[in-house]
Amino acid sequence: TCVQCLGDGNTSLQKLATSIVFFFCLSDVSCNSVEQKIYVELNNTVPCVRLLNATHQIGCQSSISGDTGVIHVLESEEDLEWPLSKGPNPPYMVLLESSLFTRSIMMKMKNESNRVAGVAVVVPNTSPPEFSPHTTCPNENTGVYSDNYGPNLAHCNTTVWNPRGNGLSYEEFDFPVFSLKEDNETEFIKQCYLDHNRAVNGSAPQYPLCAMQLFSHMHAVTNTPTCMRRNDINFSINPEMVCDPLGDYNVWGSIRPYNDTVFGHKENESVVIAAARLDSRAFFWEVSTGAEGSVSGFVTLLAAAQALREVTHEAPPTRNILFAFFQGETFDYIGSSRMVYDMENGKFVIDLDNIHSVLEIGQVALHSGNNLFLHSDPVSRRNNTVNDVVKNLVNNLQSSTAGLGFLLVEPNVSQPLPPSSLQRFLRAQPIPGIVLADHESAFNNRYYESFYDNAANLNLTYPSDLSPEEQLEFVTHTAESLTDVATVVARALYKQAGGDESRVNTIKADPKIVTQMLYGFLVSSNNSWFQAVMAPELKNILKPSPPEYYVGVAMSSTPTRLVQYLLANLTGAATNLTQSQCQKPDELPNESRQMYSYLWVQGIVPPNSTERDSFCVRASVRLTKAVSPAFELGEYASKDYSTWTESRWKFIKARIFLVASRDLEMLTLGVGVAVLFTSLLVTYFISTKADVLFSSTREPASAAY
Amino acid sequence: MNLERLPNEEKLTLCRKYYFGNVYNVCVWGFAFLPFLWLVNVVWFFKEAFVKPTYTEQLQIKTYVKCSGLGFLLWVAVLTTWITIFQHFRAEWGEVGDYLSFTIPLGIP
Repeated sequence: TCVQCLGDGNTSLQKLATSIVFFFCLSDVSCNSVEQKIYVELNNTVPCVRLLNATHQIGCQSSISGDTGVIHVLESEEDLEWPLSKGPNPPYMVLLESSLFTRSIMMKMKNESNRVAGVAVVVPNTSPPEFSPHTTCPNENTGVYSDNYGPNLAHCNTTVWNPRGNGLSYEEFDFPVFSLKEDNETEFIKQCYLDHNRAVNGSAPQYPLCAMQLFSHMHAVTNTPTCMRRNDINFSINPEMVCDPLGDYNVWGSIRPYNDTVFGHKENESVVIAAARLDSRAFFWEVSTGAEGSVSGFVTLLAAAQALREVTHEAPPTRNILFAFFQGETFDYIGSSRMVYDMENGKFVIDLDNIHSVLEIGQVALHSGNNLFLHSDPVSRRNNTVNDVVKNLVNNLQSSTAGLGFLLVEPNVSQPLPPSSLQRFLRAQPIPGIVLADHESAFNNRYYESFYDNAANLNLTYPSDLSPEEQLEFVTHTAESLTDVATVVARALYKQAGGDESRVNTIKADPKIVTQMLYGFLVSSNNSWFQAVMAPELKNILKPSPPEYYVGVAMSSTPTRLVQYLLANLTGAATNLTQSQCQKPDELPNESRQMYSYLWVQGIVPPNSTERDSFCVRASVRLTKAVSPAFELGEYASKDYSTWTESRWKFIKARIFLVASRDLEMLTLGVGVAVLFTSLLVTYFISTKADVLFSSTREPASAAY
Repeated sequence: MNLERLPNEEKLTLCRKYYFGNVYNVCVWGFAFLPFLWLVNVVWFFKEAFVKPTYTEQLQIKTYVKCSGLGFLLWVAVLTTWITIFQHFRAEWGEVGDYLSFTIPLGIP
């Protein structure tokens, strides 16, 4: 039975009305539409959206016609009494400063949600001392540790990785939560509150009051199996998609190319995998910067790949090295679980038996005390073969730090691996592996998976008098320390792959490349270097702000593309092919699209010229789909794989306006209804007495029909 | 259509048609169980059946009106019960509820 058709009808009528008004405003009449006089639209807001997994829904939901509430600027936690119990004009829209955006305040509002219409959080430019909305034990159910594997290590029993986590991102709120920047709009809102909503000397504030309306109606409910089922129903008149699985592409590249059409086990092929993650998240939708959480790791790996390019051409090592960048790791290891699934089912160029060892780069930018730590899995190391390979890898790593000023140390106690893609490989098979990180036990990152994990978290500062181009080239402290880490990683990988020992000390990562990458990924992606390495048709994804690291559902995330092209430029070779040859390289004798990918990149602008020097890069860099195997298999309630989906919505907006008291509204309605009935009565009486009132010439009564 | 103008046999035919549900010769076998046609029957022919002075066809018209009225009330009872149950329990029925629904509201269970 149809329940929501009325709602849709209203919006389309409203749209018709506003479009008519807009049309009249466009023609040369200076008109102030009534809507503009009432509402002030808020433009720089970011909503919190609903995400669903196999069993739960998290995030925020508003009602279909928006939630309206009287604005209340919260001054302290005790002031919560006003919106939750004492205030006379519920529901309230609570405006929070970031210092008050804590778990206790949000949970109190969640419990009294019939008096809270929504929450707006003002995000300042400077970060609070610590804030992490993620859980204390990230990805605890999809890692390798469970009741069957290292039960005393599971669920962070030995080490709590993210002790500052307050778990807000994984709570469900049935009111909308928006974030506002600290700018003129927020000042306007606070001024509106001070003018109208302040209680004077304990008496209730008088109407009209300043109110805010937030629209963020999410279509999906309950959990992923429900929303995927509703996606598929063909029977209804207007089939609507309500949710989409999270996912994007993984980027991988190798020193020796693989034929992209030959999948499965390769005889006598032994591969060292170097892995890093690409994505991050925050409480609000899509604004994730992930500086320490993910950028530090993949920038280091890209720099190591570049450092290895020359030496692996001149003196190739015996084993192949495969660089893998996984997307979606934040949401229960989407990318790495998909790659492991592909390897297990013969859909990838190698399979799990071809893997010799894994070196993963975790969070590496905040090392205090000049030590980095090598985490390994104690359960798999009980096996002697695995233990020997791990010890060998540890030796290779530790001996690579010669002359670099820091040490690589194994943690003192036997503790599990931190949340890392290596855990998904271990779930399939005991593979020797090490996770390199700057934390011995709990994360050093005080803003794990939050919108404050940005350039400032890494102390990425530039002298104030530099232009953007000069900032791009300026080698920061952070860049130097990450360069050293990249050098160590490159040397260790080369040794691990059986390379020539005498050449190890020639491997050095380039600080200029590291600092340019840090600038591009954390400050501004629209810089000259990124423009030079990207394809012409993709140059619109470069913006003056850093890219967003949220994995998203559109399969077109900016970091994936950037890392793909950077890896191609840094490990591949520039060729002489023309643009048309670059698109069809198979026609040439020595080129093969099965072995390499050919990317046409913009190139730099030479001095004294306006045309870009575009060229064709040949690299063994590929993209593979990073969508959870649960969606391939149709097991939407899977406990083994990630089942995260993001809800769809129609529109999201916020506006403020003055709201009148309910009594005034009812009075206006009553007067209107009374006028209607009075006019009906008057008309009836006039029509019955028409011949008396309007008696002029008598006309014969015409035949009625 | 003004019933005043029709001769009585035609009124009877019309009432019968509405009762059997073959107004536009759509349903040859009639008895199409159409509750709204029965409601129309009751409302339209009520005056003819019960208020007007007796005439030959009035008895048959009365029967048709009574039967239509009963059928309509029965339909109302059945539909009201089903609609109440469905609206109340659709969310709990999960999969079955979704497959029975013609349109599913967005954003609420």
